[in-house]
Amino acid sequence: MTIKKSDINHICDLSKLRVGDNEIITFTKQISDILNMIQELEEADTKGIKPMAHPMNMSQRLRNDVPLSNNDRDLYQDNAMDSEDGFYKVPKVID
Amino acid sequence: MDRFTLKKLINMISQREISSAELVSTYLDRIKKYDHSLNSFLTLNEESAREQSLIADKVIQAGNYSSLTGIPYASKDIFCTKGIRTTCASKMLENFIPPYDSTIIDRIKSSGAILMGKTNMDEFAMGSSNETSYFGPVQNPWNLERSPGGSSGGSAAAVASGIIPIALGTDTGGSIRQPAAFTGITGLKPTYGRCSRYGMIAFASSLDQAGLLALTAEDISIFLEVMSGFDPLDSTSVEQDVPKYSDLIDSSIEGRTVGIPKEFFNDSLDSESQKLLDQGIAIYEKLGAKIIEISLPNIGYSVPTYYVVASAECSSNLARYDGIRYGYRDDDIEDLDDLYRTNRQIGFGDEVKRRIMTGTYVLSAGYYDAYYLKAQKVRQLISNDFEEAFKKVDLIVGPTTQSPAFKIGEKIDDPVSMYMNDIYTISSNLAGLPALSHPIGLIDNLPIGMQLIAPHFEESRLLNFCNLFQQETDYHMQQPQAFLDVRH
Repeated sequence: MTIKKSDINHICDLSKLRVGDNEIITFTKQISDILNMIQELEEADTKGIKPMAHPMNMSQRLRNDVPLSNNDRDLYQDNAMDSEDGFYKVPKVID
Repeated sequence: MDRFTLKKLINMISQREISSAELVSTYLDRIKKYDHSLNSFLTLNEESAREQSLIADKVIQAGNYSSLTGIPYASKDIFCTKGIRTTCASKMLENFIPPYDSTIIDRIKSSGAILMGKTNMDEFAMGSSNETSYFGPVQNPWNLERSPGGSSGGSAAAVASGIIPIALGTDTGGSIRQPAAFTGITGLKPTYGRCSRYGMIAFASSLDQAGLLALTAEDISIFLEVMSGFDPLDSTSVEQDVPKYSDLIDSSIEGRTVGIPKEFFNDSLDSESQKLLDQGIAIYEKLGAKIIEISLPNIGYSVPTYYVVASAECSSNLARYDGIRYGYRDDDIEDLDDLYRTNRQIGFGDEVKRRIMTGTYVLSAGYYDAYYLKAQKVRQLISNDFEEAFKKVDLIVGPTTQSPAFKIGEKIDDPVSMYMNDIYTISSNLAGLPALSHPIGLIDNLPIGMQLIAPHFEESRLLNFCNLFQQETDYHMQQPQAFLDVRH
């Protein structure tokens, strides 16, 4: 399986990555190699097999929906580079 | 002087041969003196460790202490530590100070053990050589030109060189067992759900599991008792009692059955490693185990299955790094899209980007069924193979790696060749099984490991087998030449 530079650009759009012009050739080749290796899976006979989403096929445990009183917003925002009055700041989105 | 096992340090403290303050000071001195050649620590917790050791000594004097009170340990830099920088060896988290402790760190703290520092690793645990770390590779103490393996390479090198008695690691596809094998120590990946993942920075959530690297199975059993158990804060944590592992390690293995998967002994295993494995298997036979050949017919699909599942989960988990709430944030930004892309372009290294790209591709429209759904089905086949095998045998034994540690730089430009390193270790992550690697000798002065795999929640069986092996042999006490004087 060979993928093209345009595929890498599309993946980068989906995953919000950016790859420099000088790196894209290397990434295109490496991702092609990885996908070729993955292609082996086609040979496996999986007729009638259900997909396995959890290593012990357990379902997700949910906690009771009880409101908690602790609010650590200020503590968590200490790690933000740009916040003000409890809000995170980003570049202007709407003109 | 003998190697300082954790057990030995515990005895020295309880018999008042050494104080916690002296112990902490000794290990801090060792780290400062020797780590410049290894690069195994990213952050030292010196001041806090010294303070805690003084408190520990008061607790010990008062007589009201537990076995781990005042004992030094290190943590892979993937576990959140309140107030202590936690980087995941990434530029993205270079300045991240967690506001809380991960459950495992919290439990170990409650046991009285003292965190000495955070160890180097592959960036976001993605790698098998420790070369993807933003802070530079770790060197293997047996040969400084060689890789210690990865991703828990810092923890492995630190334990193997004797600058720390025990260290936390994580294992998503072999990241504890492969570095343990490459550095001649013992490493355990517990069952998925055995140890809480809360506060352990996520890479692939259905595969990640916390574990330990130490000199012996006995040392691991002591720490595992403290770390394990249900945690309401981790929705994948399993509610199951934790055995007293250290009480179960001496049981006889007479008559227990050991399965040798024929698929593990093929051309990809080098002949010298094969010889040492045969000798290791003979020791289990001498200890009373019955050896039988088994087959895991779908095991050959492990690597491709893993690189679909793990990359898909990685692309999803790492979507959180946008540079807004935490993480690297660039100053020179035009708009919101530019902010995301610039922060992620500069904050992530190449291997992390490759995995995000691969994961995004296999999950994208038109490819989901062919790759992701197919891999999940093959994962079930691999898991079924183990289930069948464990109807016939108590334990599965095989190689941990194909060969001894490779040279730093040898494989870094060829991702597929690097991924093949995990060929023997990945399947137990896919099936959620506990697995352990222990040393079985040297080839050209480089260690080789043997891997044991057990049914779910049978960590005690792995530790029991390994402990009896280590009573019979002294491979686990062999020391790297360059670090022989560390213990004097």
